[in-house]
Amino acid sequence: MRLEEATWALLQETLDVYRDDPRVSAHVHHQITRLNDPLRIAVMGQAKSGKSTLVNAILGEEIAPVFENVLTWYHDGPTPLITAYTVTGAAHDLPATRSAAGTRIDLAGWRADQIRDIVVQWPIRALRNASLVDTQPEAPPTSEVDAVLYLSRDVRAADLDALQQAHLSSVARAAPVSTILVLSRADEIGGGRIDALLTARQLARRHHRDPRVSSVSLGVVPVSGLVALASRVLSEEDFERLQGIAFMPRPELDGYLLSADRFAAAGGGELLERFGLHGVRLATTLVRTGHDTRAKLGAELARRSGLGELREALNQYFIERRDVLKARSALIVLEELLRNDSRPGAAELLARLERVIAGAHEFAELRLMATLRAAEVTFDDDLNAEAHRLIGGNGGSVAARLGLEHEASDAELWALCSEALIRWQGLAEDPGFGFELAQQRAARVVVRSCEGLLAELSEARRFGYAR
Amino acid sequence: MAVVAPIWLNVLDETSRLCQAHGRADLIEWLRQKRAQLLDSQLRVLVVGEPKQGKSQLINALINAQVCPVGDGVTTTLPTIVKHADEASTITHPTHVEIGVPRGLLASGMVLIDTPGIDNQDPARLKAPPADVVLLVSDATRELSVTELNLLLHLAQSHAHLAVVLTKIDISPHWRLIADHNRQQLAGVGVAATVIPVSSALRLAAATTNDQTINAESGFPVLLSRLMRDHSAKGDELARASVNLIVRSVVDQLAAPLRQELSIEDSPARSDTMSRLRDAQRAVDELRRCSTSWQNTLNDEMADLISDLEYDLRDRTRRILREVDELFDEADPLTHWESFSGWLDENLIEAAEANYRWLVQRCEAATRRVADHFVDYGYGYDALPRWSMRVPDDLAERVSIIEQPRIERFTPSQKIFSGLRGSYGGILMFGLATSLVGMPLINPVSIGAGALFGGKTVLDDSKSALKRRQTVAKQACQRHIDDFFLRFSKDCRDTARQVQRMLRDHFTALTEQLQEAIIQSFRRAKQAADLERNQRHRQIEQRLRQLASVYEQAQALVAARVTA
Repeated sequence: MRLEEATWALLQETLDVYRDDPRVSAHVHHQITRLNDPLRIAVMGQAKSGKSTLVNAILGEEIAPVFENVLTWYHDGPTPLITAYTVTGAAHDLPATRSAAGTRIDLAGWRADQIRDIVVQWPIRALRNASLVDTQPEAPPTSEVDAVLYLSRDVRAADLDALQQAHLSSVARAAPVSTILVLSRADEIGGGRIDALLTARQLARRHHRDPRVSSVSLGVVPVSGLVALASRVLSEEDFERLQGIAFMPRPELDGYLLSADRFAAAGGGELLERFGLHGVRLATTLVRTGHDTRAKLGAELARRSGLGELREALNQYFIERRDVLKARSALIVLEELLRNDSRPGAAELLARLERVIAGAHEFAELRLMATLRAAEVTFDDDLNAEAHRLIGGNGGSVAARLGLEHEASDAELWALCSEALIRWQGLAEDPGFGFELAQQRAARVVVRSCEGLLAELSEARRFGYAR
Repeated sequence: MAVVAPIWLNVLDETSRLCQAHGRADLIEWLRQKRAQLLDSQLRVLVVGEPKQGKSQLINALINAQVCPVGDGVTTTLPTIVKHADEASTITHPTHVEIGVPRGLLASGMVLIDTPGIDNQDPARLKAPPADVVLLVSDATRELSVTELNLLLHLAQSHAHLAVVLTKIDISPHWRLIADHNRQQLAGVGVAATVIPVSSALRLAAATTNDQTINAESGFPVLLSRLMRDHSAKGDELARASVNLIVRSVVDQLAAPLRQELSIEDSPARSDTMSRLRDAQRAVDELRRCSTSWQNTLNDEMADLISDLEYDLRDRTRRILREVDELFDEADPLTHWESFSGWLDENLIEAAEANYRWLVQRCEAATRRVADHFVDYGYGYDALPRWSMRVPDDLAERVSIIEQPRIERFTPSQKIFSGLRGSYGGILMFGLATSLVGMPLINPVSIGAGALFGGKTVLDDSKSALKRRQTVAKQACQRHIDDFFLRFSKDCRDTARQVQRMLRDHFTALTEQLQEAIIQSFRRAKQAADLERNQRHRQIEQRLRQLASVYEQAQALVAARVTA
């Protein structure tokens, strides 16, 4: 039985046991509904770490923050609709008007302390499989979300502590990591130098190699939210302005670009707001070096901002694994519920839950991924990389697991997969390699993943499609 | 002209003497270091802040030289001391790095200290190097964080001159808003620190192009003039302010334990009294328990004793009675009474004496057993009563001499009479029988038979008289012994009761004496403690007054500065 199915069955049985308790039933119903809802990704981080800017960059719209320091949900929907829920639970629609300058939301005189949360429905492709939650700074991680994008400007100890907080329940321990660390405001590194984003990439790699960081995050992605957003909302007018500035005489331009004050004094205030000083420096340089259309400039800015990588990471780590992540958060909620509200039958359900957790190969993979990242178990470098890949560390698809970048025939896939299976079986069982128990156990998880791949391939062959 | 020591130095030394009086060697050492630092003409400028705020770059920009390494990741890992030297030099110590650079700014004696970024550390645990001026570096892309404010509050306790340097104003379009916000926050938490916005990038750019306007824009002239002013004020104003803070901190540290001692309403003394009171109560309770138990012991012992003694006496008298019975089964009281009564007296006296001796022994044993209860109170056999029992000398006199019962004798006339009565039957019986053969009524045969019968009757009567006498004697003896038993056992019981009463009185008195002693000792201890506490109070108050006076002197240092 797959993990999602097992989770669903467990939730249904909990519903049976607690059928006379309306509060718990409602809670469980909510979890069952959530299994079919899109994945919920929280955007977390300390104050001023760039959460709202990043949300805007992902959405491609300047919506966030609707309200400073209010929990805001972003879902995909047919029409733009912004609803504020007050502390008392009443819903109020907030009218929004879109214009060239961005989206303006009429707050209708509400104060932040009157509002519990805001739900933004926006027709955006990026949100089809997942919804985003813009959280309050330093809010504790909630079970309402399945995965976390954690934003940090310079990966401090406080950030790592906050991430560690999330791993307290036994389900969370069974499937430890559902976080991507975002090195945010990457454009400000090194005082907004032109190569800030390249530097940020190096820094991200360095952080990722640090076991303290990799034990709490699936990956470290540098993103400049400001540049990313600018690239997405870059208008023809903006481009013309940038072009005008870029082709000024060099000494004059350099003088303007020396400081934000100077640039603003020269009439660049609006561009500065939109791009940041680094963004302006980068954009003017790009325009001068041949990115002579809006589209070209926009594409290059997007590429440099790290947004693409972030999307890829979101897809690879979260969207592809959404069923497991949703099951995980449902099980975390269920465990807490069963532990806090015991009654006849609850203990049995808890035991079943523990069996599901222990038996779920998806969790075993996540666990192994975390131990490999934290370097608690290691083989040599090549084997580490292969194990990581086979258990889905680079993406859950068959091709990603086998490390193929090109299209491959079924026969080729089959051959690669069998080869990996045999190799890892040997590593798991042959005492000749002199592996320790932990390493053999890790190898067995990889073997199980290979077997799963083969099963998937043979199923695909029977039904004539590949996942 | 003799150099007059500045007034702040006097205050500092006075404080040091106070520390000496309070026995705080740690504070003295700290004061000594501070004193040396204040007398030193160097101005030590400490640069602190969270990681990646541009601390090292700030120092580089201040002296226009790339002396501190600047990187994109966390770069500074050791405190770095930058001071003047004729030739550029770098010395790496295990705990810090010393860099010498030939710069005019530093030549006047300014020392810049770069520190690693403070990441998630408790400010109270922070070991900041000694410094005259502290610059907290926070970049202009965001407001002061809670950590930074806490750090400032902590630093403000020991550093008179603080400043918040807002760096990277070149890349932040809204740095003016942030600076205002920070100023408000600082005012809100009550930290007297000026906010100085600077841009190291602009300053370095100005240095390469030698452009004065850019230099002015960088904000560094403001920062530099501030540092110069601090330097020139070091010997007076800065020192006064520092001494004020130092004295305040020392006085706080010295006064805190004293105030605590006063405020918790003499808690040590009081708790001492309370514990003494509890001890006394416990002792009194203990004594009460002891008193109950010794009373029980006494009652039990005496009850046992009385019943045992009675049994013993009964046993002895019965044995005598049995012997009397045996004696009078054989002997004729008529002939043996004299010797018998002597024997009986002797035996009864002996029994009485033995019984009384036993009573004495048992009483002593009981006394000892009761006295055992007082061993815990330090009484051995001292607890025994001063008097002791003896067998009274007049015991023999208490036993009355048995009265001779009225013993009926078998007199000769009675003998004749009973002989005649017996012979009459014999004569008549045989006379009648012989008359049948024609003999007269009185004939030799009948006379013989009469004599025979008469003798028999006399013998029989004499025997029955003896029996009667013996019975009477036995009854008399029994009565006598009963009387003796009754009287003597009553005597014994009375004695035992009397002893019991005396023992009770004696031990009750002892118990009361002990209780009185406990209460007395408690009262004395309390008085002593009260006295000691009052003395301590006076001492503490005096010390607090001393501290207050030094504190006032220190305050006067700053007040003088304000009016000057």
